Amino acid sequence: MTTTSPADADREVVHAGRPRPRRGISLSDAGPPIALVVIFGVFAVLSPDFRTVSNVQNVLDAAAVLAVVTCGISFVLMMGSIDLSAPGIMGASAIAVALLVANNRNDNDFGLFGVAVAVLLGAALGCLSGLALVVLKVPSFMTTLGVSAVGLGVATLMFAGVQPNVTDPMLEGWAVERFLGLAHLTWIAVACVLVGALVQRYSRLGRYAFAIGGAEEVLGLSGVRVAPYKVAVFTMAGAFYGLAGVLVTSQLGAGLVQAGRGYDFSAITAAVVGGTLLSGGRGGILHSVVGVLLVTVLTNGLVQVGVSPYWQGGVQGLIVVAAVAAAVLPQRRRNQVTK
Amino acid sequence: MKFTSRHTAAVIGVTLAAATLTGCTEEAGGGGTAAAAGACDPADVTLVGQVRNESNPYEAAWLDGGDAFAEQVGLTQERLTYDGDSTRQQEQISQLLAGDTECLVMNVLPNGDSDTPPIVEGAEEAGAYLVTQWNKPADLNVTDYDSWLSHITYDGVESGKQIGDALAEAVGGSGGIIALQGILDTGAAKDRFAGLEESLAANPDVELLDDQTANFSRAEALEVTKTLLTKHGDDVKGIWAANDDMALGALEALQQAGRDDVAVVGIDAVPDALTAIEDGTMTATVSSDGPWQGGIGLAIGYCVATGELAVEDIAAEDRAWYAEQFLIEQDNVADFVSPETDEADFACDNLFSRSQGAMS
Repeated sequence: MTTTSPADADREVVHAGRPRPRRGISLSDAGPPIALVVIFGVFAVLSPDFRTVSNVQNVLDAAAVLAVVTCGISFVLMMGSIDLSAPGIMGASAIAVALLVANNRNDNDFGLFGVAVAVLLGAALGCLSGLALVVLKVPSFMTTLGVSAVGLGVATLMFAGVQPNVTDPMLEGWAVERFLGLAHLTWIAVACVLVGALVQRYSRLGRYAFAIGGAEEVLGLSGVRVAPYKVAVFTMAGAFYGLAGVLVTSQLGAGLVQAGRGYDFSAITAAVVGGTLLSGGRGGILHSVVGVLLVTVLTNGLVQVGVSPYWQGGVQGLIVVAAVAAAVLPQRRRNQVTK
Repeated sequence: MKFTSRHTAAVIGVTLAAATLTGCTEEAGGGGTAAAAGACDPADVTLVGQVRNESNPYEAAWLDGGDAFAEQVGLTQERLTYDGDSTRQQEQISQLLAGDTECLVMNVLPNGDSDTPPIVEGAEEAGAYLVTQWNKPADLNVTDYDSWLSHITYDGVESGKQIGDALAEAVGGSGGIIALQGILDTGAAKDRFAGLEESLAANPDVELLDDQTANFSRAEALEVTKTLLTKHGDDVKGIWAANDDMALGALEALQQAGRDDVAVVGIDAVPDALTAIEDGTMTATVSSDGPWQGGIGLAIGYCVATGELAVEDIAAEDRAWYAEQFLIEQDNVADFVSPETDEADFACDNLFSRSQGAMS
């Protein structure tokens, strides 16, 4: 009893009723990092342009936004839910932040406060998904799809036909200025990953998210009120998407309604490639980060190696499927959501 | 219990959907009394402009051009948007055609090639006057129909070549360039890239270092350009982008890489690109003149509906044609910053003045 660390307690909750051998680092956890190293190595051998320091910086910078989105989505996936709201929430927060900091549309100049409002807007939309899930009992697939449409609607209303261009030096600086070779954006993403990992490991919210995905009924039977935690997880995910929308705005120098287009499925792909199960209860932030890097390295490497653009989409898809298959082979039965 | 909550959800969902739809489709004003085809009272004509969405500056300007024409003839235009959703476009069209269609004039941007045939068939059956732009299947002939008055599009090969030539000139006739292609399976992307290849053939010292797709997206262009800049470094003297959104993404990538010696060209003449050309950070773009497009389709329909122009009198070469497009560089950008429609362009005897020839 006395030696049980929080992490161990966490594991016990997750696998309640599911006896399995004690393990150190199992093959299933090591799969994605090995795949990452292999793919990185292959590209480094094939292309001298790929293995330059500036390209590695470029890969890390390119991974920043996807990493932040994936932080949010990982918690939702851990619970065994799904979240497709990223494009809408990112669009709404992108336009909101572009209109709140110094821009060409109005005289606002709220700086960091504007960023905070955009993140809160994201959290509010995320909260809406969570509430619809637990109060109306609509499956998360549908609620989040609906919230995405709501977010795009809010964004289109604020957009009002004229694109807001950001002139705020702070927000523009995030994408341009560098610290230790990486853009400020990238450091913000690193901070998000750390916060996410800490929440996952040490907070009740993070551990219950795991537990809900692992065995929701057991948790309910032991007297835990699950609903508030579900809402909280969606709210937190929304805040991450909101921040991601801000980061995209910083990169593009303009607020776009389509700021988050495609990020929902890229983030789910990254999380699954990293070893997070769609059925919930396994994986986590650090797994997802490996997945994000894998996907980003792949995109970058195929261009560096010089694969024809007509082939890239297909080749990328094949490698992702192969990587997932290799990574989850030991636990294949659990990974199948649909039979 | 479970049932009620499902019902609640379903009811709320349907209500939301209905609210969204009604928000987008305002009722057409007037309606008009029955009139013989080709002899509508000008006051009875209903004008409808339909594009994908108003969050796209080009398409918003298109609808504004339609409003300008409507005002010119003392009417109002019904503005429809379908969010790039083919199903929604068809629903809106069938809703329109289910109403009074005697003096209905539609200026439509079909979502894709395959969306055009049902719209054309519907209009033909209902006797509504239709002008389409940009997208139609190559084997669908306008001359086979009476209500489908005209199809207007732009020669992508020409625009791709125009900016290719402008780029070659900007890099001093020699040097490496990279190309950002659009969505590879669209006609626009293919034609524009073919235009670049023509330009490259005419400028043998300009070398295409790499071509990648960024799917017409600003965000994707940013990432792809950053990658290509690390790959080719200082060899990159110019960037050819198949639309302005990608050109603007490329400009951000150049700024983040601290490069200001690279010329960038695009197509579409979106407002931000025009600003960039004014500033000198971007070299050239091509305009199809969105406001003119919004007005001309309605004008053709209006002239036929009111009997000023008979369908039989429209020359076969004016039934499906390429319209003139304009290369914009720093010296003429001022003329395009706040585009306005010219009433004379919409006069019934001047409708086809911008034709560059029949579609091949």
